[in-house]
Amino acid sequence: MNKIVGVALGVLAAIGGFVDIGDLVFSSEAGGKFGYQLIWAIVLGAIGIAVYAEMCGRVATVTKRPVFDVIRERMGFEFGLGTLIASQLVNVMTLIAEVGGVALVLQLLAGLDYRLLVVMAVLVLVISIWLLPFEWIERVYGFGGLLLIVFAVAALHLGPDWHRMANGLVPHPQGTTNYLVLAYFAVGLFASSMMPYEVFFYSSGAVEEGWTPESELTLNKITAIFGFGVGAFLSISIIVMSAEYFLPQGIDPNTLGTAALGPQAILGETGLLLALLGMFFAVGGAAIDSSFAAAYNLAQFFGWDWGKYRRPRGAPRFTLTWIVVFGLAFLILMTGVNPLYVTEFAVIFSVVAMPLTYLPLLLVARDKGYMGQYANGRLGNVLGWLYFGIILLVALSAVPLMTLTNLGQG
Amino acid sequence: MSEQRTLDLALSILDHQLTDDEGRRCGRVDDVELAGDLESGLTVEAILTGGTARRGRARGGFRRLLRYLDHSAKVRVPWAEIRGITHVVKLEHSAHELRLARHDDRARRIIEGIPRS
Repeated sequence: MNKIVGVALGVLAAIGGFVDIGDLVFSSEAGGKFGYQLIWAIVLGAIGIAVYAEMCGRVATVTKRPVFDVIRERMGFEFGLGTLIASQLVNVMTLIAEVGGVALVLQLLAGLDYRLLVVMAVLVLVISIWLLPFEWIERVYGFGGLLLIVFAVAALHLGPDWHRMANGLVPHPQGTTNYLVLAYFAVGLFASSMMPYEVFFYSSGAVEEGWTPESELTLNKITAIFGFGVGAFLSISIIVMSAEYFLPQGIDPNTLGTAALGPQAILGETGLLLALLGMFFAVGGAAIDSSFAAAYNLAQFFGWDWGKYRRPRGAPRFTLTWIVVFGLAFLILMTGVNPLYVTEFAVIFSVVAMPLTYLPLLLVARDKGYMGQYANGRLGNVLGWLYFGIILLVALSAVPLMTLTNLGQG
Repeated sequence: MSEQRTLDLALSILDHQLTDDEGRRCGRVDDVELAGDLESGLTVEAILTGGTARRGRARGGFRRLLRYLDHSAKVRVPWAEIRGITHVVKLEHSAHELRLARHDDRARRIIEGIPRS
């Protein structure tokens, strides 16, 4: 029974890690612009993050090394420093986007001044990290994020076109001439599924919880497959709802508020409330994950003591780091920057940091010297290299696509 | 560590996590101090962590960035201080005695000012 609970909670945490503001923004806009056409990009991204999350969880379990230990030990100091700088920029941008997203959701719920709600968002997140134990942070925000299932209910009410949905699983443009914008959204959906902060957080959590190969490798596999699978299901539900509700009316759901109008139109005020609460927890959970990812990375690169399981005074520089990055995000948001623009920049620039993160992980996961009998099998290696190739392709095309399409506006 | 061992420095030591006698993480092996020569054989005299040991590993812009941001002092840990090498390099004494992780003490003073720390 305990094992079943453990698996359920692990899956829950992974769902929380999958759906964040990037997924919400890109999914609702992609559905409103292109209907079902880009479902394949979410599926591709979900398989990719499941492959690499399973690998990083296995590496952490077997070698007791989180991802940044692996990057520095395997690739050396300069490569590690370059990866640290790139991933910290992306982590901070992601945190700005997520905290801004929480404030926008609070504004939709409470109707107060946006800047005041930025203050409240930061306070709520920082206080919940300070007061709640690690596992309760995962549970509260993971369970709350599941409220996004309201998008699946709304999509089912609208009567999805199953044939077109199946067609959307295969990449082939239908009835569009703007291939560059289509490609930009495909890159955005893929990248938002594979944001590196997810593996930094996941692998550090595995080390903190003291996973062992004998008891946790199966849990790791199930969490990676089902957690990110259910996360992808939620993202696809948002696309379907957008495709069925916004596209026929010619509405571009490019704000969080517009995206939440779909469940409201179909399920009434309860639908709107559930959608907004689901967004609050999903985006809030991602904010906590990305702030921790920034603290984990810095602490692991320089060898400081780290971990949420220690009291804050037990890992003081780690604690100061996540507080400082929250402060930085707060200051930048108070300048009035639009968090949805920052989201798109964070997602697209994360693509550039992806190869630096995923290559060392793949090299260690397949290395029998490090991993012994737990090294990648043939399937793991094939999928690992295949996805590394896709990541490289996406990394090379992301910034040019962003520039050429003016952030997907055409 | 007193016995003679042959080690692959790049894979087994360099960049590895240092932990003190209580298992507290207290830096990384940023460089090593060698004695002897290639003909008679090289031995590791000490491991070096922080400050110029770290900056010495970087070039160009990275080096300038570290000079600007990283104000930690270089600490020399004699090889005899090493208790064992697993996925981490374990030390015989506490981080405090070895003058490692001194910035942790400063950061702790700030954190301890916050309730429930």
